[in-house]
Amino acid sequence: MYKDLLIRFILGGAAVMVSYLITVISPWKILAGIFAAFPAVMITAVLMVGIASGSKNAAKIANGSVFGMIGGVVCVATVWTVLQGSGNWTLSIVLGLLFWLGSSIIVSSFRDKLKNGRRNILRLNVLIRHK
Amino acid sequence: MGDLSISALLIRFILGGTAVVVSTLVARNLGEKAGGIFAAFPAVYLAALLTVGLDFSGDELVAHSILLSKGAIVGMGINIMVAILAGYLLPRQGWKRGLLQAMGFWLVLSMAVVMITTYS
Repeated sequence: MYKDLLIRFILGGAAVMVSYLITVISPWKILAGIFAAFPAVMITAVLMVGIASGSKNAAKIANGSVFGMIGGVVCVATVWTVLQGSGNWTLSIVLGLLFWLGSSIIVSSFRDKLKNGRRNILRLNVLIRHK
Repeated sequence: MGDLSISALLIRFILGGTAVVVSTLVARNLGEKAGGIFAAFPAVYLAALLTVGLDFSGDELVAHSILLSKGAIVGMGINIMVAILAGYLLPRQGWKRGLLQAMGFWLVLSMAVVMITTYS
């Protein structure tokens, strides 16, 4: 439990640090942003589940994180658009957070519907076989 | 900018790490559904964006934040591909090799984007 938090702390801290290092010393500025999007949480989660309960469950975490990352794309896109449109830094972050939350809720309920849909199809198949 | 200081690096490390840990703890305390949503909170990006505010102000702050966001949106796109690939590789290669290969793919794809945007 604490090991998991420590790995997340190190990976998250290192990603922000590297992102800053790149903006100061490297000529490739786009790399700073790529590091700012470093999937620290996904990697740690996959790592910890891999250690604790094997590759199949770790793969499930990776598949599940795809949905969460869509919220991240919406958040960054909102910040970028608001910054370009209004030039207001604080407003861009606040709206980025709001849009992240909204899109994450939509994606999460869509995912639930998809899961329930699959479960119903499975149930139907079992029923048909029994008949 | 141009000057690199150890304290500035340390501040970024602590802020980035804390952001990720806090979002993880919030996610765990929210119950399954809301927790699942908060588990994917873009903590690293927001910490990086907030620390840009430590160095710049006004138009410079906006310009640097736009540059950071431009890279981050590419990064998030790469992450989605990496997560899909990891979901495919992990059951086939085992989690250790699968995760390493997925991270290798992340690095190669990131470098390819840098090369394309810099030298095209």
